[in-house]
Amino acid sequence: MKTTDSALSRLETHLGRLLVAGVAVSAASLSIGLGLYLASPGSNDSHLLLVGGLFVLMATPMVRVIVSFAEYVRMKDWFFMATTIVVLGVLAVSVLMAIRRL
Amino acid sequence: MAAGAVAGALGALLGIGGGVFLVPFLNIGLGLPYEISIATSLMTVIATSSAVSAGTTGKNLINLRLGMLLEVGSAAGGLIAALTLEYLTKRQLYFIFAAVTVAISAIMVSRLDRRNVMPPSVDPGVLGGRFIDETGHEVVYRTKRLPVALAASFFAGNISGILGIGGGILKVPALNAWCGVPMRAAAATSALMIGVTAVSSVPVYYARGFINPPLAAAAVLGVLAGSRAGLHFAGRSRARWLKLLMASVLLAVSAIYFFRAL
Repeated sequence: MKTTDSALSRLETHLGRLLVAGVAVSAASLSIGLGLYLASPGSNDSHLLLVGGLFVLMATPMVRVIVSFAEYVRMKDWFFMATTIVVLGVLAVSVLMAIRRL
Repeated sequence: MAAGAVAGALGALLGIGGGVFLVPFLNIGLGLPYEISIATSLMTVIATSSAVSAGTTGKNLINLRLGMLLEVGSAAGGLIAALTLEYLTKRQLYFIFAAVTVAISAIMVSRLDRRNVMPPSVDPGVLGGRFIDETGHEVVYRTKRLPVALAASFFAGNISGILGIGGGILKVPALNAWCGVPMRAAAATSALMIGVTAVSSVPVYYARGFINPPLAAAAVLGVLAGSRAGLHFAGRSRARWLKLLMASVLLAVSAIYFFRAL
């Protein structure tokens, strides 16, 4: 039980770093994009930064699930590996439905 | 942006997204279409989830296994919500939501002084956990009634996608009152989960043009600023006050949706 406890703590630390990075990149992109938008509404650069920031924001939880999956594979925790695959599958369906409607 | 900040602070404090405040503000206050309000709110839910979870890692408060397992339910609920939103009448949903929030609020108040804590020698099992609470004591808990937790997560995910909220407002009380998860662990685990829940419906709304990038950016930045403030307070307040605050928030939300349904 102890080894899994420490493995889970390590996963928590990894995920924490990932979330910090995702939020920082997205917040920076959104603030600069919003600033540019307010300076000159409709400019191409501002649109790119705003959409980019929103995409990074949406991607962060998805990457979080993928990292968890890799970590459960390393722990050889098959039950939670399967659980994570199901969650990834649901997210994949959501993204595919979105792409089909774009 | 100011609304985003207030919503973010309350959301972070309670382990829920700030959507319960943001949606009525955008929809009624600013007169934006309902679809745009919920899609914008769900974007801020993702931001709250990532920011709050990043702030709580390292304390063992987040139950990663339980969270991933329940995400099966909440993500499926969110996806189904996104695909069925256009076929549902909002009036009925508001009524259901108002009724559910009143019920949960009552449960919260009735269990104010119940503690889901065991002696430190107890083995928490695969889905339980242990953490050090604000007074420095070790807290150990087991997760009970997993099917209830899964069903609550599915329902929360569904409501999340339809009403533009994180869904933590439904999950946290259910986990706390019925499944033996202490308030702080329930809130931290839910905060991590709501990001995935929102991401299971947001891409579909984005593709349908419900996201206005500058508006979403302003809301997200406001909520990020607010959630930092909320996190600052969350470490200091007691579990009892968190529960009371949450119960009053639920009552207010319920009243808002009840009157909207009329």
